[in-house]
Amino acid sequence: MSKQKWMIQALVLGTVFFLATWIVKPVGVSTQFSILSGKMYQAVDSSLIQENPTREHGYQSSNAYYDKEEGKLAEEIMHPITYDFVFVLAIPLGGFIAYLFSKKKRKTEETSEKSSCPLEERRQGMLRTYGVSFLGGVLLLYGARMAGGCTSGHMMSGMMQGAVSGYAFAAAVFAVAIPVAIYRGRKGGRR
Amino acid sequence: MKLVLAVILGSLFGFALFYVGAASPKKIQSMLRLEDLSLMKIIVFAIGFSSVLLALSIQVGMFDITHLSIKPMHFGVVIGGLIFGVGFGLAGTCPGTCLAAAGGKGRRQALAAILGGLTGALLFAVSYDWWKGLGIFDMMDLGKRSLFVISERFPSVFSLGTGGLLVVGGLFMLIAYVIPLQGRRTKK
Repeated sequence: MSKQKWMIQALVLGTVFFLATWIVKPVGVSTQFSILSGKMYQAVDSSLIQENPTREHGYQSSNAYYDKEEGKLAEEIMHPITYDFVFVLAIPLGGFIAYLFSKKKRKTEETSEKSSCPLEERRQGMLRTYGVSFLGGVLLLYGARMAGGCTSGHMMSGMMQGAVSGYAFAAAVFAVAIPVAIYRGRKGGRR
Repeated sequence: MKLVLAVILGSLFGFALFYVGAASPKKIQSMLRLEDLSLMKIIVFAIGFSSVLLALSIQVGMFDITHLSIKPMHFGVVIGGLIFGVGFGLAGTCPGTCLAAAGGKGRRQALAAILGGLTGALLFAVSYDWWKGLGIFDMMDLGKRSLFVISERFPSVFSLGTGGLLVVGGLFMLIAYVIPLQGRRTKK
């Protein structure tokens, strides 16, 4: 990597964060995982959310989490097409566009990288890779929902605004993530 | 109109995450093992830079401060962060970056993380009552507190205004500049 490339990348990322906050609101992702999984939950248990016009958000839920803050999440589960939800849905689109750009650039590098991995090892590692990713995902969102935000909402948006909770979240995350990643690297578990 | 903005800003965000390499679990894990620190430089610098932009735009009155939103501080932030850290270290991805990765090369791995994430969010919703009963959301309750005074809506730690945010933002950029690109050597 060229010496100054990191700074250009950082300026792009920082500008996008500021732009989103300036135009609409700070970036946040993890809440939408609650909305979508809540929608699935509701599809199975139709009595999960009920209308209640006396409340601020117009809904109540038998689940205490969806019910909190006057049924705020319950309302979003009933009417999920919001700015936040569409924002999150658009993230893979942006990732795809960036992927197309990067593919053009390093087509040659990629082919050499792939052939270096033996087929047998790849098959064996498959279940582990996906299994670990799934488990990782479970822990990520369980933790993020408990904390009230994730790397985007707490760490980046939060610390950008000088939020105390953002600093606390970042400290807790790295205190654990660094040893876990080092341990996993030593075990030969690197993907 | 808001939904159009959501599409534009959301894809810009996904683009930026992918562009800086945050969509690659390999790259994140290498950062967490303190080997390839380029991503750390980028993220720390980006936080500082956006902080500086925010502080300056508030100072010149070009920022609608109703857009600001500070998340509440309580003990759940710490416990949740610790749990999040295990997942972060294991999978080398986070809720935003796995979505950005879903549009690119490590697609299937990203989808596994997304499915896991939906499961995790559901599990939390189901177990929320239990945690609430333990009182973790009432411990260490500092409310929606920020370090500096950025809006009357939020209590602050210091009585300094956006100047403080500006200095801290600059400090972040300086720290990012000093962090070396290469940390520990990879042992093979």
